[in-house]
Amino acid sequence: MRKPDVKIVLLGDMNVGKTSLLHRYMERRFQETVSTVGGAFYLKQWRSYNISIWDTAGREQFHGLGSMYCRGAAAIILTYDVNHLQSLTELEDRFLSLTDTANTDCLFAIVGNKIDLIDEVGVKDGAKDLNDPGKTISNCDSARATKRVCLDDAMALYKKILKYRMLDEKEVPAAEKMCFETSAKTGYNVDHVFETLFDMMVPIILRQRAEGPSQTVDITNYKPAKQTQSRCCV
Amino acid sequence: MMNIKAFRLVSAIERELLMGDKDHISIECIECCGKNLYVGTNECFIHHFLLEENMSPNGKVTFSATKQRHKYLGFKKPVNELKAASALNRLLVLCDNTIALVNMMNLEPIPSGARIKGAVTFALNENPVSGDPFCVEVCIISVKRRTIQMFMVYEDRVQIVKEVSTPEQPFAVAVDGHFLCLALTTQYIILNYNTGASQDLFPYCSEERQPIVKRIGRQEFLLAGPGGLGMFATVDGISQRAPVHWSENVIGAAICFPYVIALDDEFITVHSMLDQQQKQTLPFKEGHILQDFEGRVIVATSKGVYILVPLPLERQIQDLLASRRVEEALVLAKGARRNIPKEKFQVMYRRILQQAGFIQFAQLQFLEAKELFRSGQLDVRELISLYPFLLPTTSSFTRSHPPLHEYADLNQLTQGDQEKMTKCKRFLMSYLKEVRSTEVANGYKEDIDTALLKLYAEADHESLLDLLVTENSCLLTDSVAWLEKHKKYFALGLLYHYNGQDAAAVQLWVNIVNGEIHDSTRSDLYEYIVDFLTYCLDQELVWKYAEWVLQKSEEVGVQIFTRRPLEEHQKDIFNPDDIINCLKKYPKSIIKYLEHLVVDRRVQKEEYHTHLAILYLEKVLQQKPSANGNCAEVTETQAKLRNLLQKSDLYRVHCLIDKIQGTSLHMESAILHGKLEEHDRALHILVHELKDFSAAKDYCLWSSQSKDPPYRQRLFHMLLSVYLKPGPSDCDLVPAAVDLLNHHATEFDAAQVLQLVPDTWSVQLLAPFLTRAVRESLHTKRVTQAALGLAKAENLLYKHDKIKLKGSPVRLSDKKLCQMCQSPFCEPVFVRYPNGGVVHTHCAANRHMNPNSSSPGNRT
Repeated sequence: MRKPDVKIVLLGDMNVGKTSLLHRYMERRFQETVSTVGGAFYLKQWRSYNISIWDTAGREQFHGLGSMYCRGAAAIILTYDVNHLQSLTELEDRFLSLTDTANTDCLFAIVGNKIDLIDEVGVKDGAKDLNDPGKTISNCDSARATKRVCLDDAMALYKKILKYRMLDEKEVPAAEKMCFETSAKTGYNVDHVFETLFDMMVPIILRQRAEGPSQTVDITNYKPAKQTQSRCCV
Repeated sequence: MMNIKAFRLVSAIERELLMGDKDHISIECIECCGKNLYVGTNECFIHHFLLEENMSPNGKVTFSATKQRHKYLGFKKPVNELKAASALNRLLVLCDNTIALVNMMNLEPIPSGARIKGAVTFALNENPVSGDPFCVEVCIISVKRRTIQMFMVYEDRVQIVKEVSTPEQPFAVAVDGHFLCLALTTQYIILNYNTGASQDLFPYCSEERQPIVKRIGRQEFLLAGPGGLGMFATVDGISQRAPVHWSENVIGAAICFPYVIALDDEFITVHSMLDQQQKQTLPFKEGHILQDFEGRVIVATSKGVYILVPLPLERQIQDLLASRRVEEALVLAKGARRNIPKEKFQVMYRRILQQAGFIQFAQLQFLEAKELFRSGQLDVRELISLYPFLLPTTSSFTRSHPPLHEYADLNQLTQGDQEKMTKCKRFLMSYLKEVRSTEVANGYKEDIDTALLKLYAEADHESLLDLLVTENSCLLTDSVAWLEKHKKYFALGLLYHYNGQDAAAVQLWVNIVNGEIHDSTRSDLYEYIVDFLTYCLDQELVWKYAEWVLQKSEEVGVQIFTRRPLEEHQKDIFNPDDIINCLKKYPKSIIKYLEHLVVDRRVQKEEYHTHLAILYLEKVLQQKPSANGNCAEVTETQAKLRNLLQKSDLYRVHCLIDKIQGTSLHMESAILHGKLEEHDRALHILVHELKDFSAAKDYCLWSSQSKDPPYRQRLFHMLLSVYLKPGPSDCDLVPAAVDLLNHHATEFDAAQVLQLVPDTWSVQLLAPFLTRAVRESLHTKRVTQAALGLAKAENLLYKHDKIKLKGSPVRLSDKKLCQMCQSPFCEPVFVRYPNGGVVHTHCAANRHMNPNSSSPGNRT
């Protein structure tokens, strides 16, 4: 088995489309999936790197496994359903604490999926043409439309995450770059999410390779991120 | 469900053998070490059996157990656990919270009575840290709350190494090196008993459901997780494999690579670690023990012991392939890599890839098939042989045995579907085209190229010609028959040519042109043949078809002689006289050929020049009187004639003059007279007969082209005299003379001209001439003066140098001292510096020390 260079973990409430996102990216098509049991993992060969991508189960029952999956992760994709505000709230309430075990320099991306289900009202210009008229919810179902989660909410969450992880906003990618809206069904923006992360992970991989063969994180040698950023002149 | 048969359940110990008719006896635990099988019962007995593996005639594995002995331990408690330490010849027996050591063979307690007390359960460290081969490391969960103890167990003693306390009560343990994997009350953890560092894995309620902690390899464990998951975790606390999905009430797990086997109250389930899919389910009621011992998986109820016999991997893979589950078969084969010797694996794996390739091929999944054929290094003839008649009849190929696929040929595979057939053929075409230049083709080039030729010919594919004109290995006999069958005669000619049979090739093509056989591949086949013969080295062949080619077209046909490669001329392969002889019947051809000799190749031979000139002349004469209609052509030939007459010095002038006499070809006869240096005559013709003054002037120019200036002057003067000579029509000639003088002033000697010019002419008339003449003369004078001045200056320079060189003499006498060493000169040898200083030669050798000269580099 090829040894993965880095790990990406998909987290998020059940039924937000984590498996579909990954499936769309890996298999280039959309498939109705069943509820994920426990977790699954894919190995993606990207350029000369092996990237393992873990799909986790959103069900409460498997919640306890999240911490272990996140251990040593180089990037975490927090996924919510743009049609359900609750799924965004859950990210902060339930899932954020699972990322404690991830690498200190772990990247975060927040992805709002199922953009294809949004009614045209209130959809930003870029996504308009992707709406399949047959699948959209009718205009009169305004209750549904108002529940739509704004990208701003996701960006606010991103900033909260940085605070939670005690990261300096200036030293990590900006919220605008790390919050996405996607549709696993149409494929809209899906590649962009993964490839943006892959690109950002290259320096991490190279640093890991330079540091030697150890590719796992030993918590006994835990050092706070601040220490590694010391400069030569004080 | 997609099932494969990975295991077979075989009974190991008959129920009667173990308990006879005593129904209250039940099996509590099992240990298997080599052929030794131990069973611990609820009545505190240990039974020792010898297990024999047999192969039944139908190839199935069976087991027979023979009872060796049994031992009663003397308690009223069940035997909880048994573990063999074969290096010590000891069996560790957990009964009544005590681990006792007994002899593996006779089951007698050891004399020293060494034992570990207060153990709830225990585990052996399969990745020991001590390095002592006569010691096993045992980890126990103590009866003391939240306590784990590590022991070293030797042949006849035990020694406690470490005691660690855990945050919660442990329920199950597995050991790897310094790492303990523990199931605590609410979670699993990894605990390093050496450093005390612990790592949470995930929550699990051990009181609700029985935990499973199973070491599956170096630093990796398999754990029962929430929702019936089989979770993998490493000692670093990460998961490197996706979980497998068991039922909620799983009670035991075992590993038999690449499978994870689990037991619940009704079934034994088999999952693959490679793709996490469930592969097999065996109904098994009331099972309560599932363990693997050195690769042997044993499952037991309270009454019977069974062995799960794995089917050979190859068999499993073949089963998968037979049901077209290519992906799974490949995953399984790849997963087996580390369990099979490298060479054997490679052979097996290649074969599987090839088989998989044919499965994809049969489903017309050509891209996938190609990739599999490529990576499986398929003998390409296996594929070709599927297509009827494609392999050469001489090919010695026989398909591999056992066969890689079930198809006799393409007809069977496609079931006669023409569309599928075409697709398959198109695939083979592209595949062969790709591989023919790679190493895959090594040794089979003939088979590949012949097959490709057949496919191309049949499909009327344009690449057929490309194949034949480039390097190829098409077999002649097979290909000839095939091309004839498909009426690809032009291609057949190419094939003949490639095989050195040019005569056959040309004959075939000639037949096509003549309409005897039909092949419309090339509409310009005649030109192609001409071209072919032009570059054909076979002289005989060229002669053979020369007549045919010329009859078709004199102008084009003659190219077989005129366009031959340059290097051939030097070798004189074709004698020009033979060619001329051959071309006699073809007037157009012969002119072209002679032009080729005279103009292109510049052959300096009188005959050819004369012959060509005469032919031109005849043509001109022949056309002249007939009609003025094709005027252009007359002029063209005439121009050629004139050009030849002017440029060439080789033809027989007199012969031509004879022929030209009495005709109206004045210009030509003037040229001819010119050639005889009869300029007077020539100019006379031009001026008086042709009255073409500009031609007369041109005549003066070209006749003197390669001659010296006086020669040219003479001609111009001659022309002037002709103009000025009083004659019957002198009135016409005066303007011509004036014109000549005014426009070519420089060609004349002005002084002479002035004497010739009639006195009656005004100065105005000759003004341009006179101006030019004066200017010319002045110019000459000045140039001469400048040259004279320059020559004088040069002379002066030389004189100056000469005087400088002579200079003043240096006198040496007894009194003259060397400037360096201040001693007299004893020999007539010295060195003089440019500043006049005189020193010894040896002193000058140290010239950098010379005190008087700042730049002592130059000696004179």
